[in-house]
Amino acid sequence: MKTIRIVTHSVKVIIFSMLLSTTAPASDYPAAGNSQKGAKVWADNCGRCHNIRGAMELRDDQWISTVYHMRLRAGLTGQESRDVLTFLQGSNTPVHEQVNARTDTSVQSARSGKSIYNQTCIACHGADGRGSLPGVPDFLSSKSPLAKNDAILLNNIINGIQSPGSLMAMPPKGGNPNLTHADLKAVLKYLHQTFK
Amino acid sequence: MQLKQAYLNKVMAGILLALPVNAMADATYDTLRNQVEALQKQLQDVQQSLDNYQHKSTSKRKFSALEKKVAQAAEWKTPNTLIHMSGYADVGYTDSKNTNGSFNLGSFSPIFHFQYRDLVMLESELEFEVEPDGGTSVALEYLTVDLFLNDYVALVAGKFLSPIGQFRQNLHPSWVNKLPSAVPGFGHDGAAPVSDVGLQLRGGFPINRMRTNYAIYIANGPELNAEWDGTGFELDGTNAEGFGSDRDGKKVIGGRFAVLPIPKLEFGISAATGKATVTKIEDDLGTAPAIVIGAEQRRDYDVLGFDMSWQYRGLNIRGEYVQTKIGSDNSTGVTASPGGKWTAWYAQIAYQFLPGKYEAVIRYADFNTPHPSVDQKQTTIGLNYLFANNVIGKLAYEINKGLSGSTTDENRILFQLAYGF
Repeated sequence: MKTIRIVTHSVKVIIFSMLLSTTAPASDYPAAGNSQKGAKVWADNCGRCHNIRGAMELRDDQWISTVYHMRLRAGLTGQESRDVLTFLQGSNTPVHEQVNARTDTSVQSARSGKSIYNQTCIACHGADGRGSLPGVPDFLSSKSPLAKNDAILLNNIINGIQSPGSLMAMPPKGGNPNLTHADLKAVLKYLHQTFK
Repeated sequence: MQLKQAYLNKVMAGILLALPVNAMADATYDTLRNQVEALQKQLQDVQQSLDNYQHKSTSKRKFSALEKKVAQAAEWKTPNTLIHMSGYADVGYTDSKNTNGSFNLGSFSPIFHFQYRDLVMLESELEFEVEPDGGTSVALEYLTVDLFLNDYVALVAGKFLSPIGQFRQNLHPSWVNKLPSAVPGFGHDGAAPVSDVGLQLRGGFPINRMRTNYAIYIANGPELNAEWDGTGFELDGTNAEGFGSDRDGKKVIGGRFAVLPIPKLEFGISAATGKATVTKIEDDLGTAPAIVIGAEQRRDYDVLGFDMSWQYRGLNIRGEYVQTKIGSDNSTGVTASPGGKWTAWYAQIAYQFLPGKYEAVIRYADFNTPHPSVDQKQTTIGLNYLFANNVIGKLAYEINKGLSGSTTDENRILFQLAYGF
């Protein structure tokens, strides 16, 4: 009985202190999050229980309810949920651009290909390039997609691609619509240098 | 002659007079022609301008219409109120040695979400099942109003899936469960509570680079079943499926706390404690004395659980243990009888062959109760084909060890097609 009383009291204290920290809902709902952090949270958590659904499988409004539902199921924080939502909705942003890798004269990226890879691509492709999620291609295998020419690769990165046999499509620009052509060219260069 | 000469003179004079007139007529003609050509050019320019104007006007109208459509579509992107439906369904076939093989409809479980901004969400899951006699049963799996209090806390009120362990709250949907059957002891039969009615606080927060998640709840708690054997009562089991009233008058409190020291590796501990009382008797003989609800003594109800999971690329390993202890009733209550302990655990390894669509699964489960007819040791091997990440065909073979002659001892082959939508 004493144990029950102690636990009951502790629960009351926790509930009270948590309720005190209640904040008003965001006025700019759904508040924007960080797409790059969202990609990482998405890759790290969705597969804890179920096969990961592709980032482009639902409409933007459908993702809102789905993410809030999963916030409760997976124990995500509010910020993590907003980050994931930003990533998923960003993945739905169509690009439809064709870029000629040889003639593209976009200015050089201010960021290194490594930093862009580590912030955006790493969520699915992994630090070692072998893919951290089921269905993501292995950059080091004999069937590596990096064997394709740069023009094809760049267009695939910009517009997204559903690889034959893969259960999940790569979203345009890896789900980060803020990346420029110069950023993507820098990433491509980094991929070739790192995953030979 | 004179007349002829006079005529010729006139003609000559006329010609002479006409010569400058002809010269003047040519100049006028050229001027007029130039003017006509200039007018034609101006007319063409006017026509061109008119065409351009009409084209622009049409484009503008089309653009305005398109703009309106886009604006209307955008209204649905960020409305204050969202209505959303998801869920899952499955169909299958089951065969065992002593039972005729049958096609079966597992369940159709739509999940409804009604959300107001980032403040509140109503969640509800229904479960439709076809019974062996052809009838249809409907159950309210859960219904909660979730208030997002801040970034770290959500208040969940209503009938919720039990947060004890992982299987019940996260893994039981057929498109999530990697095998066609529920783990013995973790279904609607046993050691792990299924759902409860009350209040729950849940969320997550980081501790340095480590993630954590938690759930704590206070609820009505379960009710107990007792079985009449002709001479006395014995405790039959716990019925922990979300009762809308608290028959014993004592609430159950519990929860789960989990840490993820590194991404994709999770360890959880769960516990619940409270009181429960017998409200139902199993009486196959029809000779049991009547019980008076509320007169039976409250028994101790304690649950303890541990769970872990780890994912690495195509590999998925998880395990879970749960025990439910019910105290004895030593009073003069009609169903007074000793208590009991129900324990269940399982370990499961799944591997998705990359980059293909096949997944192999093996699971071992052990369910122990005070009743040998329910106890079961089960080894299941399965092969899944992923038509899509949410459309899964499962083929599995169960090797069951239970009381000889009982259904818990029958090996089974199962096929299931599960779809999460």
